[in-house]
Amino acid sequence: MSRFVALPKGVSEETFARAISEYRALLGEGRVRTDPASLQSYMKIMIPESEELHKPSAVIYPKSVQEIQKIVGIANKYKTPLWTVSTGKNMGYGTAAPATRGQIVLDLKTMNRIVHVDEELGYCLVEPGVTYYDLQQHFKKNRMNLWVDVPAPSAMASPVGNTADRGVGYTPYGEHFLFSCGMEVVLANGDVIRTGTGGLANSSSWQTNKWGNGPYVDGLFTQSNLGIITKLGVWLMKGPPPGGYYPFLMKFPKVEMLPDIIKTLMPLRMSQIIPNACIVVNAGWEAAGYFTYDKNGKGTNRETFYKGKGSLPPKVFQQIMDKYDVGAWNFYAALYGSPEQVALNWKYVSGAFKQKFGKDVRIITEKEAKDDPIFEYRRQLMMGGSTLQEFGLYNWRGGGGSMWFAPVAARPSECEQQMKVATDILNKYGFDYVSEFIVGWRDMHHIIDLLYDRTQPEEMKRAYKCFDELLTVFTKNGYGTYRTNTAFMDKVSRSYGEGMRDIHHKLKRALDPNNILAPGKSGINLQA
Amino acid sequence: MISQNRRSFFKTVIAAGAAMAVSGTGTLAGSAHAATAGAINGVCVYAPGLGSARDFVESMQKSAPGAWNVQPLSGSLTDCYFQAALLFEDAKRGSTNTFVGVLDQASFAVVHEAIVDRGGRFHYVTQNGADRVTFSVEV
Repeated sequence: MSRFVALPKGVSEETFARAISEYRALLGEGRVRTDPASLQSYMKIMIPESEELHKPSAVIYPKSVQEIQKIVGIANKYKTPLWTVSTGKNMGYGTAAPATRGQIVLDLKTMNRIVHVDEELGYCLVEPGVTYYDLQQHFKKNRMNLWVDVPAPSAMASPVGNTADRGVGYTPYGEHFLFSCGMEVVLANGDVIRTGTGGLANSSSWQTNKWGNGPYVDGLFTQSNLGIITKLGVWLMKGPPPGGYYPFLMKFPKVEMLPDIIKTLMPLRMSQIIPNACIVVNAGWEAAGYFTYDKNGKGTNRETFYKGKGSLPPKVFQQIMDKYDVGAWNFYAALYGSPEQVALNWKYVSGAFKQKFGKDVRIITEKEAKDDPIFEYRRQLMMGGSTLQEFGLYNWRGGGGSMWFAPVAARPSECEQQMKVATDILNKYGFDYVSEFIVGWRDMHHIIDLLYDRTQPEEMKRAYKCFDELLTVFTKNGYGTYRTNTAFMDKVSRSYGEGMRDIHHKLKRALDPNNILAPGKSGINLQA
Repeated sequence: MISQNRRSFFKTVIAAGAAMAVSGTGTLAGSAHAATAGAINGVCVYAPGLGSARDFVESMQKSAPGAWNVQPLSGSLTDCYFQAALLFEDAKRGSTNTFVGVLDQASFAVVHEAIVDRGGRFHYVTQNGADRVTFSVEV
């Protein structure tokens, strides 16, 4: 029996033990852990696969770029792959567990310096272990009127990790990679590069000019295993003046209204009257947020409404909508600017929706929402606040299983088709359609949470098959997936065609011939 | 009243977790011997609304006697995250030798991260059906 929890593929126990000795000589025993208790949190997965497939062999906590350079040296020597995480909060996309068994988790949470915040130009330079909450506290402490755009698990997620995975948020700066500027990256051979203008000695524009000179390479290090990002520049939004932030909600009673909602909002979004990455949320997602306990200590989740097997029937969905007073679709957005601009833009926005929907739209402003917890959650997100409310979804079905299926949609008709196709497939496997559309600059991130019970082996198998079919059918329809979990990275990679897969692997062979950086990430693995 | 079978189950789980925390050597639930009565100086976090959590806490206090600081995690999930973080930091600083919890899925998701983010290591995490999670953390 091995003394290690797992071993990297093709590495003997003896070789691995020697590698661990060298890592410990470099970092000390406390920062190189192989004991099961230290690895337990990196084995927590929410995807429908066995933990055995994703067990790490060790976890390493570096504190500096120089240490990472030496770590990759040891990794090359012993062929011990490193699975890098910033704070490891990629919940529905695979958590902090490696894509393949036996990788060493390189946990960068111990590199948590806010290197610089520039209030005048509105940017920051941060290390991977810095969280959005850390930044917010920094702004508060230093009385800076700056907002950082956040993804839903804002309090504990990292700007570096989320941007590296091309995550999105909800303010006008919602497309995180677009609003990043300049990276420091350790390559697999130990070299350190600074992208954009960062290579200039004493560069004054590393976080203000994205392009520098020659081919732009930052994208190579997102959803990638070609380097380890150790610093990232992030653009920050100047907070509007008092009265210059106006969040609102519109509720729509019928599922089939989706294309008309999108048709009405897109011109407002493209003209920047609604400037933020606004959201159209379905009833299931919205209702999950109102989870409470009854006097007997039983949670009010989907089982409260439906005890049958299979997916929720439409009439039960209607009961849930009535109970929580949520729409079939719930559109959250905000206006930003001076109070005068906001007042004027509100006329355009409310006018456009009233004209299109008449009495079929209910408009709720911040004043009318009062202390509604879900409005407050969305209000926080759209101003870059800290909230963890989204985790409430995990009580809706129970059992700890969750996978984000995240296709991209463009036109209103596509949103409708995607909704119908996804609902049919999910229902066929006994799951519910729980979704939101995050409205980008020209596209929609259609985020579907496939919630299932990981304590039931049969349900795990169904969830896997369901996700697989979703992916197959959406691909066949020409709908790409913008991000996926570790169980399906290879399949998603193949969906984008052999040409892209080939160039990704050519880059991998050129930059990381020993395959030591996160093999399997985004389907890129020289050993597969 | 909880059934005899469930009581026995709780006793096994909680005693194993407590014993491992006290010894500092255990790694898997069920592999440790029962804690010595009175050796526990523990924190137990729980979701106050969850009925079966209340049962668990009651059973724990009977089955694994010691000095228990029982803490309901109330408010929003954001509040839960920061409350758990504070309790865990306090536990690490003080003389606490056991840190356990019984939570629903959503609270557990954030409490797990609050503890991991502060360098915590788990003896065990157990899914008790679809709605409840129990765990024990090294302190």
